[in-house]
Amino acid sequence: MRPTKGFTGRRWRTARYGTAALAVLTLGVASACSSGGSPSSTSTSSASASASASSSSAPVTTTSFPRNETLYTSGTSYSAPSNWNPLDTGNFATGTQGLIYEPLYLYDPIKKSYDPWLATGALNSGWHGSSYVINVRSGVKWSDGTALTGADVAYSINLAMKNSTDPYSTNVATVATATASGNTVTVTFKGTPGYTEFTDYLWRAPVLPEAVWSKLPASQIATFANTHPVGTGPMTLDTYNAQEVAYQTQPNWWATSALGLSFKFKYLVDVVNGSNDQELGQLTAGDIDWSNNFLPGINQLMSAVGGNSGYTLKTYYSAAPYMLSANTVWLEPNDSVAPMSNVNFRKAMAYALNPSAIAQTVYGGIAEAANPTGLLPGLSSFVNQGVVSADAPTYNTAKAKQYLAASGYHGQTITLQVPEGWSDWMDATTVIKDELQAVGINVSVIFPQANTRTANVDDGNYDLQLDNNAGADSTPWSYYQRVYALPIAKSQDSQLNWERINSPADWSLVQEAATVPLTDTAKLDSIYTQLETDFFAQEPVIPLWYNGAWFQGNTSVWSDYPASTGSDQNMPVMWAGYLGAMTTVYALADLRPTPAAAG
Amino acid sequence: MSVTVSGVVEEPAAPTAGRRRSDFFYYGLRNKKLVFGLGLELLLVLFAIIGPMLAKYGPQTLTGAQLRHPGGTYWLGTDSLGEDVYSQLANGLRESYLVGALGAVSAAVVGMALGFTAGWRGGILDEVLQMITNIIVMLPSLVLLVVIGSYLNSRSVLFEGVFIGLTTWPWVARAVRAQTFSLRSREFVEMAKLSGRRPVEIIVRDIAPNMASYLFLVVILLFGSSMLLAASYDFLGLGPSDTVSLGWMMNQATQNAALLYREWWWFIPPGAVLTAMVAALLVANVGLDEVFNPKLRQQ
Amino acid sequence: MRRYLIRKLITYVLAFFVGVSIDWGIPHLIPGDPIQGLLSRFGQLDPASYTALYKTFAQSFGLNVPLWQQYLNFWKGLLTGNMGISISDDPNTVTSLVFGAMPYTLALLVPAVVLSYVVGNRLGAAAARRRLLDNTVLPLGYVFQAIPYPWLALVVPYLLGVVWHVFPTSGAYSETLLPAWNWTFIGSLLDHWFLPFLTVFIVSLGGWAIGMRNLVIYELENDSSRYLRALGASERVVRRYAYRSASLPQLSGLALALGVVIGGNIVTEIAFDYPGLGHLIFGAITSQDYFLLQGIFIFIVIGVLIANFLIDLVFITVDPRTRLSMQGAAA
Repeated sequence: MRPTKGFTGRRWRTARYGTAALAVLTLGVASACSSGGSPSSTSTSSASASASASSSSAPVTTTSFPRNETLYTSGTSYSAPSNWNPLDTGNFATGTQGLIYEPLYLYDPIKKSYDPWLATGALNSGWHGSSYVINVRSGVKWSDGTALTGADVAYSINLAMKNSTDPYSTNVATVATATASGNTVTVTFKGTPGYTEFTDYLWRAPVLPEAVWSKLPASQIATFANTHPVGTGPMTLDTYNAQEVAYQTQPNWWATSALGLSFKFKYLVDVVNGSNDQELGQLTAGDIDWSNNFLPGINQLMSAVGGNSGYTLKTYYSAAPYMLSANTVWLEPNDSVAPMSNVNFRKAMAYALNPSAIAQTVYGGIAEAANPTGLLPGLSSFVNQGVVSADAPTYNTAKAKQYLAASGYHGQTITLQVPEGWSDWMDATTVIKDELQAVGINVSVIFPQANTRTANVDDGNYDLQLDNNAGADSTPWSYYQRVYALPIAKSQDSQLNWERINSPADWSLVQEAATVPLTDTAKLDSIYTQLETDFFAQEPVIPLWYNGAWFQGNTSVWSDYPASTGSDQNMPVMWAGYLGAMTTVYALADLRPTPAAAG
Repeated sequence: MSVTVSGVVEEPAAPTAGRRRSDFFYYGLRNKKLVFGLGLELLLVLFAIIGPMLAKYGPQTLTGAQLRHPGGTYWLGTDSLGEDVYSQLANGLRESYLVGALGAVSAAVVGMALGFTAGWRGGILDEVLQMITNIIVMLPSLVLLVVIGSYLNSRSVLFEGVFIGLTTWPWVARAVRAQTFSLRSREFVEMAKLSGRRPVEIIVRDIAPNMASYLFLVVILLFGSSMLLAASYDFLGLGPSDTVSLGWMMNQATQNAALLYREWWWFIPPGAVLTAMVAALLVANVGLDEVFNPKLRQQ
Repeated sequence: MRRYLIRKLITYVLAFFVGVSIDWGIPHLIPGDPIQGLLSRFGQLDPASYTALYKTFAQSFGLNVPLWQQYLNFWKGLLTGNMGISISDDPNTVTSLVFGAMPYTLALLVPAVVLSYVVGNRLGAAAARRRLLDNTVLPLGYVFQAIPYPWLALVVPYLLGVVWHVFPTSGAYSETLLPAWNWTFIGSLLDHWFLPFLTVFIVSLGGWAIGMRNLVIYELENDSSRYLRALGASERVVRRYAYRSASLPQLSGLALALGVVIGGNIVTEIAFDYPGLGHLIFGAITSQDYFLLQGIFIFIVIGVLIANFLIDLVFITVDPRTRLSMQGAAA
């Protein structure tokens, strides 16, 4: 706020107007001049990782996107697109995996099946004894015209085996060799294959073009920017700037002739996210068609269907909870520190909390309370209902107080921390704190900056926090790995077993599950049943609600979005791990231009 | 304290208190701006004291009634979590006054101490203090707030107030220094120096009282600007983490797209009330200035 | 005079060094590790991958050397114009990000500050002369000055954007457009520019108007004006001299306001999602992007120092007492 300057004015009796004005002008010009050049990126030579950032702009082939040929998406990227390396899983631009690079199989979480994609044949029929045979689809071309062969697949697997900066190296840790012969790749294992991990590789990992990656120095395979990506997917990179990335449908996509899939839009433009209310504004204005943003209160607009401006919003479910579930949010106590290290204390918390109330208050109906096991709805077939009804905690304040009394808690205040700026989590802490307070647990809430919170939790300097790393998967294996992984390091950077529970028996169960073929459902069921029972006995983390696979579609330009009824029951999110691994690509292919309003 | 009318130079440092005081009241009560500003401010302070007691719910109590329009049980409606907006407003007012006072006092203390020193001594000390002032101005206070705040488990009202004070004292120091310069060369100061008094005594006994009205006005302005600065910090999410404040209400409203959903009762009241609080201060400030300095009264 | 200037210059160079060094150090004070933060976005990494990737990033960002060496590397980079690569926006360089955001900030704030200065001064000067105007301009000025900026940034877009649908409420331009030099794009730019500009303009207006009004009143009543009148000068002549005297402190205020413009107005840019420097700073703080923060700070330091230097020049030319007292207090 500018204070009134009346008092400092007494000194200047004789004004030299000219000098002063000149001074101001110079300053003004200096300010303007230091703004300097055009917004185009100037690349400076950097000694290492990002060496290929030489041309930061793809040749601009399109100067404008015709609205009725373009699909605008948002909700995935938070920073300017600059990287199309599918191995740089933290940084790559939306669409790298899925629109450009593709995996061997896709996982359908609703039908619970694996769809052949760049590989043919059922996934589980590839097992021959303890080796696996991949039949690479024939007739697939890279976007530079060369053919996809088994050599590319074998190369990708071998790269993951040899180079530990490849994020998929854990998935192929048990692989011994991968050899290609034409369009067949034979993978042999050392000892017992890691069935679960390797299956994950088959539907998550991109097939890389050997011709491009083999030319890179080993230290850059996961970090180089890859600004001219060569992939097998339905689109190619068209243009990008700080605000958006645009892809163009390529006419020679293999799936058009093989599976009858084609995109009806010529361009897909993914826009970098602004704030929630900015995204909401753009969605309702019709500037965005497919939004994967979390828009608090969106359910209010769902009832305004066909309202102002004539737009209609579509979500996956037409009524609550409107959204599919994407990951589980846990209340995560630090199991290595008192009083959270006492199992009765954790149970007291589990019985004190009311997940439905939290989900309803904070999300107003667009998020669902979690199953007590914490497993996502897509894995419900693995949930042993008998164990749940017998052992699972419910919302019961009387029982909570009993457990609390037995825990030796003597009233000390514990902290609950969530990152500053994560507004829905910040809201949730209000409810959680109230519910815990109601049974006598004193909680103080703090909001550190995101990086500080990561450091705190990694180092074990916390009491309670919220964790939503447990994401969608085709088996519960990664979920229980996340809960029980050992050993516990001084800094849990991998964020596995962030809660620091030490249960060797359960960890060996998890490790055992990794070596069971996915077709042996009986064995897997017994292992997971045991894990669920132990989970309820220990409550190492307390599942609260599911974060949604946020999706809102605006039908003013495009329609036939995925929905829970009908034939288009596909994943409606463009996020990494969904697009290019699950069924989003079917949803994109199903979109049709909205017929112009009649009359 | 006896209030001297600044600009009247020839009086020694301790004028006849009686006559001055009645002068002040005479002009003061006739000055519309002072009366209006002070009156409004007192009303708002009263509201800050009584308001929260009248609230039916605590500011962060979850009533279960989300996003209600104003009227009926919820005088100003509820927010997206079901918290009573009126209660948040009343408590936020209190918090704003607290932060304002803390910020003003800290800035005034540091600014005056440094300003007097620089103005009195001049020379190298003055240069050094100017350099320190420049550096403080150069430091992006927002970043500092984030950095310092991230070491504290939770940010309190005290922290925010003192932080604001410690980052806004430069302009106080500059103004005080300027005034001290001009007063330093006056005859009564020369006389005091000749009579062998120590500099601190001279500053406290002779210079400061002649600036008293000015200093008082400076503090009032600081109060207002601290409140506004705190509102900006709170709006960005950097305010106290354990209390509700007016800026925090606006922050919450933005996060939940209250603008687009037309939940006007959530974001219009807090800012309106804060505007009234600061405007009343400013108007009273101007009125006071006119009372102290006849030259500013309308010709 | 020359001695004074040299002393001043030394002070400024010192201030520059100290300021930039402090600004270098501050991001490092934020608890947490930016690379750890960066890697946490990678999803599941086993310890071996994590360590390998950590090493790669630490090396590419120059964070694997001891702090004093990082400090020296920083100065080296500064002098060669290479401010490094942004951690949060790898592989974009800091310079490209800063220069990409700067036009938005300057285009927003410079017109707002200058226009509010011009209009405010006119209003203030007019109000000092006419009582009628004074009774409307003054209260309005106080209200404007008292408005908390975030509130204006909510109410104005609410009325003009949401209720009356006149302007868009956020962003720099409509996303359905690509940046290009055509009228549609420029139109969209102006459309999105107007509301943030308006809010900054309103908030700054009050201060200038009130300040000018007080200064002019004071000047009109002080001894030199009385002397002029006693000499028989017309009121117009007196007014002219009064305005000149009054403008000077206002000008130094303007210089300072323009000097800090480079830092951007963070609240404006966050409230309107405007991609200027303030927005960049805010993002850089949350992701602990050392290099981006350091890069932006340098510009802020330079801007403030230049402004201060120019004000000092003004002091010297105008006020002999300043010059005298600079040369030491005659104790």
